[in-house]
Amino acid sequence: MRLTIVAVVLAALTACAPPGENSGSSGEATGPIKIANVNAQSGQLSSLGKWENKGVKLAVDEANKAGGVNGRQLQLDLFDDQGDPTVGTNLARKISSDGYVAMLGTAESAVTLAMAPILKDAKIPNITSGQSPKLAELKSPFLFLNAPTSVTFDETLAKYLVDEKGYQKIALISNNGAYGSGEHDAFSKSLKARNVTPVADEVVTPEQKDFNSNLAKIRQQNPDVLFIGAEEVQSGLIAKQARELGLKAIFAGGAPMGTDVYATTAGLANAEGSVVSSPYLSNEASPAIKEFAAKYKAAYGEDARLHVAKAYDGASILIEALKKTGGKGGQELADAIRGVKRDGLLGQYNYDEFGVGIHETKIGLIKQGQAVPATAS
Amino acid sequence: MQVFLQTLIGGITFGAVYALVAMGFSIVYRTMGLVNFAHGSVVMIGAYAASTFYMASKVPFAVAIVVAIVVTGLIGLIIERFLRPLENKDFTLMLIGTIGFGAVLEALAILIWGATGHAVPSPVATEPLNLGGVRIPTYSLLVIGVAALATTMLAFFLRRTKLGAAMQAVAMDHEAATACGIHVGRSNAMAFGIGACLAAVAGSLIGPMLYVNPTMGGTLGIKGFAAAMLGGFGSMPGAIVGGIAFGLLDAFAAGNFQAYSELVTFVVFALAVMIRPTGIFGEATVNRA
Repeated sequence: MRLTIVAVVLAALTACAPPGENSGSSGEATGPIKIANVNAQSGQLSSLGKWENKGVKLAVDEANKAGGVNGRQLQLDLFDDQGDPTVGTNLARKISSDGYVAMLGTAESAVTLAMAPILKDAKIPNITSGQSPKLAELKSPFLFLNAPTSVTFDETLAKYLVDEKGYQKIALISNNGAYGSGEHDAFSKSLKARNVTPVADEVVTPEQKDFNSNLAKIRQQNPDVLFIGAEEVQSGLIAKQARELGLKAIFAGGAPMGTDVYATTAGLANAEGSVVSSPYLSNEASPAIKEFAAKYKAAYGEDARLHVAKAYDGASILIEALKKTGGKGGQELADAIRGVKRDGLLGQYNYDEFGVGIHETKIGLIKQGQAVPATAS
Repeated sequence: MQVFLQTLIGGITFGAVYALVAMGFSIVYRTMGLVNFAHGSVVMIGAYAASTFYMASKVPFAVAIVVAIVVTGLIGLIIERFLRPLENKDFTLMLIGTIGFGAVLEALAILIWGATGHAVPSPVATEPLNLGGVRIPTYSLLVIGVAALATTMLAFFLRRTKLGAAMQAVAMDHEAATACGIHVGRSNAMAFGIGACLAAVAGSLIGPMLYVNPTMGGTLGIKGFAAAMLGGFGSMPGAIVGGIAFGLLDAFAAGNFQAYSELVTFVVFALAVMIRPTGIFGEATVNRA
């Protein structure tokens, strides 16, 4: 709470500053290079924010140990947005007046969307962990995503289920929150492009816990596949109740279903065989990922996961771009980020004009609560 | 028809839990005239206590429920002890006090168990019963059974024991009760304790049906409170009928109104309370500080 007040006061102060003073740090060539990391550290979404921050910190610490950029150290400052877009806009003003060359975060699309116009005006590049297609629609030259958008997640999923496996009877259940409705729209669009009409399309609320009614209706259609568009816990509850009702369909969905929270909420037996679409399936997927996961575990004593990996990738891309500009920010840095071609943990980064770097996801199957690549089976 | 019956099963199961939560609200209200806003958080603590003990020590689920009852019962007594100096003096402060305790319990849960929460495996691993295509999870039967047992025990306590009769007397007229030699403070403490025990039963039962995390008390508290209002605040049979009715309302709205289900549920609830402000089993409203 005190942080909010401080943020508000600071934002009010900076709003009074003449526009000429907002130009950032491109002039100074000595001292540390300041990077802002904005993520929720309190409130309901704080677990995401904490993972993101650890991933970013790991990359920055490594760069500093290796001598920094042009002999200058990187200074990473953490700001708590509380998962609140209003707090986010105040922080954006603070960042733009305090000489930060770039911003990493946030994990919530809604907060990033609110901050984007201010950062664009201040010419501060932002590498976000948000995944909403709305971020790409902004077409801001200063906004970059460190992961694919929902469109890519669901297009890959539809390709696997319909084109490869030949499933035609597909039912949908999704919530009408920001994430669920995005998933619903993206997956429906991918199905429509393949001339597949869902046999059922149930919409629930994000707070709903009892899905008997919705699932009983779906069961009457006897679908081959049940697409679940919801966050980790709700996806797990839907899967559990669906099996209790005797629904035999294969469960399919985005990144939330690749987590242990989904698998344990559903029960390991119920989650078995679920199809997930994600750019980061497990900590074992490749030698580079294994090495990263080991480093992360050594630093923080916990297992790495998608949110950590993408934050690490985003920070690494920023550092690579800073090396090119010699620590300079602004338009030059944005262009440098766009030029980075990185073989990252999530895949091959290659930024387009929408600020999207990753253009494909991988398909995994849940085995014993862990996502394994589909091709391996 | 199958969809209808299946919806009924889900509604009654969740309704049984709402009824337990509603009874916890009601017993404190009828005795003290106070709405205990910390009740949702006590349910959450009950869920954590039972699930942590059950998963860590592999004891039977029933034992874990008893442990949770002891833990939250103590919390209930502590809350009452803190509020006692305000009894008959400042009613508003007491209300705010319960809100404060709710926040404290949530913060404590984050300190002890972390912010992310955990899933609880179902204590009964048997296949759901299949009655002509309608599937009844065995755990649902357990939930309904335990809720019915807790209700019966409470009814027996209030009607057949001396202590219960004393509590009833305080609820009716606390001054007259004091004149008869009944210790009002002790009676209030008991109401808080019993309310917290009911919260533990509700929390323990809902744990394996949901995901246990520090913020789970919010929705459960609101729905339990609404259920108590619907049935008639302060009335025990009202809490049970209100809980089941609210569970069914929620379940059928979800099937028929999709994304608008929550809106429909609470609009129907608001209309019902407007038409009958005292609830289904409306007793004369208790109001004292």
